[in-house]
Amino acid sequence: MLIFSHWIIVFLLAPLFVGVIAKVKAFFAGKKGPSLFQPFFDLQRLFQKDSVYSRTTTWVFRAVPIICLAAVLLLALLVPLGPFKAPLQFTGDIFLAASILGLARFFMIIAALDTGYSFEGMGASREAFFSCLCEMILFMNFITLSLAQHSISLSSMIGGNLPLSWKLWGTVLILVVGSFFILILAENARIPIDDPDTHLELTMIHEVKILDHSGVDLGFLLYASAIKLFVFAGILIPIILPIEPVNKVMDMLIFLGGMLAVSIAVGIVESTTARLRLNRVNHLLLIAFALGFFGFVVKMWKG
Amino acid sequence: MLTLLILLPFISALGIFLPVSKKFILKLFIAVSFCHGLIVALFWMQRPPVEFNGFLVLDPLGLILLSIVSFLFLSVSVFMIGYFKHEPRSNRLLTVCLLCLLSTMTLVAVSYHFGLLWVSIEATTLFSAPLISYHRNQQSLQATWRYLLVCSVGIALGLMGTFFLAIAAHDVHTLLLPAILKGSSSLSLNWMKLSIIFFIVGYGCKMGLAPTHSWKPDAYGQATGMVGVIMAGALTQCSFLALLRIAQVCNKAGLTEFYSSILIVSGMLSLLVPALFILGEKSIKRAFAYSSIENMGLLVLGLGLGAVGLFGALFHMINNALAKSVMFLTAGSIAQKYGSSRADEVKGIIHIYPLTGILLVAAFLAGTGMFPFATFHSELLILNAAITSRHYCLAAGGVVCLGVMFIGVAKIVLGVVHGKPREPLLAKKENTSMNAAILLAVVLLVGLGLWMPIGLEKMINNAVKLIGAV
Amino acid sequence: MTSWVDVICITVVFLSLIILSNYRVAAMIRIFAIQSFVLGLLPFFLHAFCISNRDVILGVVTMVLKAVLVPSILFWAIRHVSMRSEVKPIIGLSASIILGAMIIAGAFWVSLSLKLPGKPASDLILPCSLSTVLLGFMIMVTRTRAVTQVLGYLIMENGIFLFAVSLFDVMPVLIEMGILLDIFVAVFIMAIVVNHINEEFEKNPASVTFSKMGETF
Repeated sequence: MLIFSHWIIVFLLAPLFVGVIAKVKAFFAGKKGPSLFQPFFDLQRLFQKDSVYSRTTTWVFRAVPIICLAAVLLLALLVPLGPFKAPLQFTGDIFLAASILGLARFFMIIAALDTGYSFEGMGASREAFFSCLCEMILFMNFITLSLAQHSISLSSMIGGNLPLSWKLWGTVLILVVGSFFILILAENARIPIDDPDTHLELTMIHEVKILDHSGVDLGFLLYASAIKLFVFAGILIPIILPIEPVNKVMDMLIFLGGMLAVSIAVGIVESTTARLRLNRVNHLLLIAFALGFFGFVVKMWKG
Repeated sequence: MLTLLILLPFISALGIFLPVSKKFILKLFIAVSFCHGLIVALFWMQRPPVEFNGFLVLDPLGLILLSIVSFLFLSVSVFMIGYFKHEPRSNRLLTVCLLCLLSTMTLVAVSYHFGLLWVSIEATTLFSAPLISYHRNQQSLQATWRYLLVCSVGIALGLMGTFFLAIAAHDVHTLLLPAILKGSSSLSLNWMKLSIIFFIVGYGCKMGLAPTHSWKPDAYGQATGMVGVIMAGALTQCSFLALLRIAQVCNKAGLTEFYSSILIVSGMLSLLVPALFILGEKSIKRAFAYSSIENMGLLVLGLGLGAVGLFGALFHMINNALAKSVMFLTAGSIAQKYGSSRADEVKGIIHIYPLTGILLVAAFLAGTGMFPFATFHSELLILNAAITSRHYCLAAGGVVCLGVMFIGVAKIVLGVVHGKPREPLLAKKENTSMNAAILLAVVLLVGLGLWMPIGLEKMINNAVKLIGAV
Repeated sequence: MTSWVDVICITVVFLSLIILSNYRVAAMIRIFAIQSFVLGLLPFFLHAFCISNRDVILGVVTMVLKAVLVPSILFWAIRHVSMRSEVKPIIGLSASIILGAMIIAGAFWVSLSLKLPGKPASDLILPCSLSTVLLGFMIMVTRTRAVTQVLGYLIMENGIFLFAVSLFDVMPVLIEMGILLDIFVAVFIMAIVVNHINEEFEKNPASVTFSKMGETF
């Protein structure tokens, strides 16, 4: 039951989250922008279409969209969403979270290679390189958080008594939040790292890998990436806005407010910064890593 | 009185910014140097009172340095009369910087607060940097840059050392020297050690001790002779004063061993490194710069060895300044005559300018510490200290390095003095005032080598007592 | 109040890291200005609610000198240089960042064995100032352009300043002003030399000596 309520929230809110970001970007560009529900309409349109497959592809290519969607849905179960506790929590589930991400990434890369198209291969290699750094950042932050919370379960790491922690570990958490925010941008292919709206194969990272997918498959992949963004934001929000369990409505409101804030922040970053040159992306990621590492050092220093 | 002594050159430097003629600037500089010298000479009779709540005090150590500075400026001002007869360039910036340098170096000699000491030493770096690039060309710009950067960083480390000292002296609540000496039992030893390391690295950088000496050959090679004198004779010894001051604190706090071991190592390194580099050198000024590094090594070694070595080091401060004034003034005079001080362009001086040639030989002998000159005695004292404290290897290594240095400098200088002369480019005649300035220093150096005045010996002994080494 | 001091400390270190990872000279100078501004705020947070005259003077002078005057002098020194000009580090930027992170860890590790006497405003001051000094030193050593070396020196000075501000009542205000003034004049002279170097390089672009240090392409 818990699982289903979790999934329903994710299914309903994730595309909305993407819609908010698009709206913020449109606002900064001085445009009215599409409706908040546009991502739903897009998905609906895609689900009505048939998929077209290239003759060179194999079953791997067809299985990947499902695997990706399943992976992020599993990931969503590990993350508490406002008043809804994570249905799946056990000691060490951060490793499960990281490996789910790795699994999805692996299949995306495999699928991209499966098409035999040189640009997709390029995207796959870039993805492999950057995700390497991303995983480093993710683990660095997880280590710091778990040290601060004395737990290696995702739910208790970012939930628990974090409200008190801001008084104790304020400086550490600032660094973690900064590092994690860059990680969100990187993992979800947002602007300083990758442009979700671009259609120039030479510079794309994420988009280039889904070039060959179409119809329902593409819909699955888009849904998966929206959910991934949502889940990552869901990890960040309890760190910034530690929710003290008062009542369910209050919690939900705080959670939604946080989501709104994160999406606006992402939108602002996307509208105010330019996309980095591809060979500078790793510098940004390394800075995020250094930030996380610095947080870890400060945590160790503070004892 | 002290304030007046500091302000006098500074105010006259401001006066030079008015539209005045080149002649007037020269006269003003000479007048200020003479006044400064006169006042300092009076201080030998009677020490001036403490000023600014104990921030400005003139003790024997400061007096020795102040006299050196004053004498060097005096001889430079005499030299300048001859130099600017043939120099078409303006002397405005040069004189302004020199006067400010005089002012700040006086401040170094009399400051009794570690913060003030740092501020004044940093100020000397800043005022000396424009002097190096007097000949506005690429090499001199690069030399200035290197000097500025290396010394600024070094001095910044010195600042850290000063702050560490402030932490070590947390219970004393001030950085005034007498207060720290009084409260030396309450100093935190760990912080003190850290502070000593930073002090030696920082101020050693400014002195040109071995690992951080890289700016020295470039800077001295590019600076005119007069500037070389001030830098090698006075500026480096100002930083040495900072090391002497921290030595005072260390001896009181019982860290003599720690302090002297670092000093001995860096002193030996500064003896070794120039000996390695001198043999490939081609220019007189650069060779003299290596000699300056070596002399700094000797000073530090003497301070590290203590006892007789300390007396030797203080005596060597004076001799080194005199020797450097002979060396760089002669080099400057040659450089002006030939437009270069490179050994392959200058040859056979003794056939064209006999007196300058003889002076160059004297400079070489004085610089490498040969007998009739007082440098011989002070070097001997320092080596003696090494032997009496059973550092036999140190003494042997020192002698070998000094020997190599002697050969290296001899190779260049003798090659310049003898050989087939080339036509000089500028003035044909010897210049009286230039030679007079050099001769004065030579005579003093020989005089000190043959007879030590009782007043001077007493003063140095007082200074040694002040440092309080065992 | 302590937490604000903490935040300032880590911001200063973080900004040095950003400068280290930057490749545009103009951006480096701007970030340095921000760093100095943040440092200038420090004296106001040091003594809880009793801000003394000394704190105000120190803070304001720092901000004016380091956050306004010094950056504008540096911009003057590189005024002929195209804004897009890039730093050519001896070691790559990625390696610099990793090395910078290691330096920070090293500085914290060293600070473990150093204990500040008395009651410092924050225990992060010492390690953070050490890391800033070391990062500044690294910038100076690994960047060949003259102006970036000046920046490295300035970052070092900022690190020392971070340390110095926490030590109240040891240095008289006058001497602290003297220190700030000295640093300012140092930068001024350095900027003049950088300017000469750039001009010399423009006159003679083939010069081997200055092709490394000059800013122009």
